[in-house]
Amino acid sequence: MPGTDGVDRRGLLKIAGGTLAALGLTAAGCGGGSGSADGTVTLRYAWWGSEDRAKRINETIALFEKKHPKIKVKTDFQPYLDFWKKFNTQASGGNPPDVFQNAIGFLRKYDAKNVLLDLNQQVKAGNLSMGNFRAGLEKFGEVDGKLLGVPVGSNSMALVIDKKVFARAGVTPEPGWTWDDFHRAMRTIRQTQGRSGDTGYYGVMYLYDLYLRQQGKAFFTEDGLGFTEADLTDWWTTGYEGVKAGVYADPKKIAQVRPKSGVTAEIGACEFTWDNFTVRYSSEGTSDYGLAPIPTMDGRKTGQYLGSLMLSASRRTKHPEEAARFIDFMVHDPEVGRIMGYDRGVLTTTEQYAAFEPADDVNKEIAAYEKRLVDSGVLEKITPHPAGADVAESAFLRIAEEMAMGKRSVGDAVEQFFTESKTALGA
Amino acid sequence: MGTTAVGDGSAVARPGAGHGPVPGAGRALEKTARGGGTRGGGGTRRGPGGRGSRGGLGNRGGLGGRGGRGGRRGRGGRGSWSSRENLAGYLFMSPWLAGFLLLTAGPMVASLYFAFTDYNLFDAPRWIGLANFTEMFGDERWRHSVSLTLWYVVIGTPLKLAAALGVALLLSRSRRGQAFYRAAFYAPSLIGASVSIAIVWKAIFSDDAVVDRTQRLFGVDAGGWIGDPDLIVYSLVALTVWQFGAPMVIFLAGLKQVPVSLYEAAEVDGAGPLRRFWNITLPMISPVLFFNVLLETIHSFQIFGSAYILGGAGGTCGPADGTLVYTCYLYIQGFENSRMGLASAMAWMLLLAVGLVTAVLFWSQRRWVHYEEAAR
Repeated sequence: MPGTDGVDRRGLLKIAGGTLAALGLTAAGCGGGSGSADGTVTLRYAWWGSEDRAKRINETIALFEKKHPKIKVKTDFQPYLDFWKKFNTQASGGNPPDVFQNAIGFLRKYDAKNVLLDLNQQVKAGNLSMGNFRAGLEKFGEVDGKLLGVPVGSNSMALVIDKKVFARAGVTPEPGWTWDDFHRAMRTIRQTQGRSGDTGYYGVMYLYDLYLRQQGKAFFTEDGLGFTEADLTDWWTTGYEGVKAGVYADPKKIAQVRPKSGVTAEIGACEFTWDNFTVRYSSEGTSDYGLAPIPTMDGRKTGQYLGSLMLSASRRTKHPEEAARFIDFMVHDPEVGRIMGYDRGVLTTTEQYAAFEPADDVNKEIAAYEKRLVDSGVLEKITPHPAGADVAESAFLRIAEEMAMGKRSVGDAVEQFFTESKTALGA
Repeated sequence: MGTTAVGDGSAVARPGAGHGPVPGAGRALEKTARGGGTRGGGGTRRGPGGRGSRGGLGNRGGLGGRGGRGGRRGRGGRGSWSSRENLAGYLFMSPWLAGFLLLTAGPMVASLYFAFTDYNLFDAPRWIGLANFTEMFGDERWRHSVSLTLWYVVIGTPLKLAAALGVALLLSRSRRGQAFYRAAFYAPSLIGASVSIAIVWKAIFSDDAVVDRTQRLFGVDAGGWIGDPDLIVYSLVALTVWQFGAPMVIFLAGLKQVPVSLYEAAEVDGAGPLRRFWNITLPMISPVLFFNVLLETIHSFQIFGSAYILGGAGGTCGPADGTLVYTCYLYIQGFENSRMGLASAMAWMLLLAVGLVTAVLFWSQRRWVHYEEAAR
């Protein structure tokens, strides 16, 4: 009777696989096929993202291989969460990809585990140029004097809106609008459009971080949380009341449309997320989507910073030179910039930034949004993300959802979050 | 399928000799399992005991094994012949043995060690004694996952078995097209564990889909179950109940073994259908029932795939931990939070719990499982 227990077995296999990797029994598979007699070198390159991103990246790789016939690139990609699971397993087995997509929040974590290659050596050797980066982005991948990642795109938090709904409701978010303005606008949309305003801002860790930064605090300190139980109680109480009133979307509805966004599923009219996500939303939904500024407390300070996706190399790579050349090509080559567009954020080097002329409204709006941030001088320095920040982030989202669904009282939710994040951050 | 599926399996519970002097149904039952292969190395016992009877899915060479034991290998004495034969047996088994030692036994031993360590995959494991276990018991999410899993087992297993038995009763009579119906009812259990079915299930139980509309016809406005942390577990239950085909086939085989003469005698004495079911059918198939209860209970404890997929699209095993069954939480701790030590401890805890439940079931069978001696 096959079939009935197939999935369980698969689940167990994963666990067994992980244990095996831990035992180092997979060491035999290390670095397979990375070099050959004629001097051809094979690099493994992994990233997270969608099919669409994969298509673009494959085009850029074809270009790279044409110009570097001695280097072959093998690719691998998964959705975000699965990517890190696979990466962890590979890295712990001593077999991580040579080059991989990375983000600021992971630099310290993987540096502490000796996974990341310090690229400064390759810069000195001339295989990788850190010149021509916009807005000080060349510093983003530096941790304690080591160059651990090279930014490929910059992004920032924004309020992604359904422009048609906002226009019909007569709501126009202006830079410097306040949180009171924001909540009022959401109520207006609810009353005039019969649609919820926001899809669940109270669970977005990166937004709460901005809210705290506006008050001179931050979500994380070097080794723990930068806010108190009372702070979070306020934040979630407002959110909970809004959900009950229908101003913020019913979390049960949001849960059912995932992985689609609540905005493109037309449950809510806007959502706080990274500005480059508009590209995805535009292909997912049927309305027009645009970017609105982050609400403030004092009419000016948004607490924003530029975030970034990066390319990192593995410390275990057998081909650091080729890996560096590959990264260099990916961030500097103008043609690569034209192919990638703002899929991973606004292109970081001036060559690529100049080469890509956004033709459609969405990409134009992203460019304008970030240009305004840079020009208006509201950007601040990013605060550190300690190891365990990713676990705390998913706990924040999950517990906020439980609170919004009425599974926990606000007080209970706050307590649970502090308990879990203390474990995660090891404080 | 057909002949090999039911009868020719390995022993689930106790390989080799049965307990007590009971050939017939009980003995053969112990030799029954999903999947093929004959346990108890050296191959003294061969194949399905007994004669095959007439047609019908799952009927042949099935549970009954009337007269019990399969033929012993008569040839040769013990001596060198048999040890050479044993050697050959082990040689043939060696791929499986190697796989077992390397892929199952080895990792299990390693995970037993990890269970007492703090291990994040990157740094060397650090011995922390029982700290993983004390953390587990103090963890509210862990307790939630335990109670959710128990609830799933307690609700899902009886429903599934009831469905299996009910349909088996309907299908046990000879009727036109019966073979077709048997195959049709069995089919879901073949495809039910697949990812695609879980995705279809998600669509069925979402807002405004079939289930939501049906319940609104009855004036219930509960919305889609997928988004509701309290209801989503019942869509998991529905999914497992729907896959009742496997226990159904085993029940069918069991029902075929009940001697018709008993029913005839009962009918003459004026017993109605309910009475006949309660006093004849149930006791006669109680070994089969026991077997199914055991297997399905163990199986239910291990639920992972459907919970992971139905609850997996946003935050793993959501919404709001609504599908956070035990193995899901284990997976999250191990692979998302990189806490392999804790995850190993959780796995061993599950093994202990399932072992305990199995032991209780075996103990309880004295009270309700009826092994017919010389069933005829």
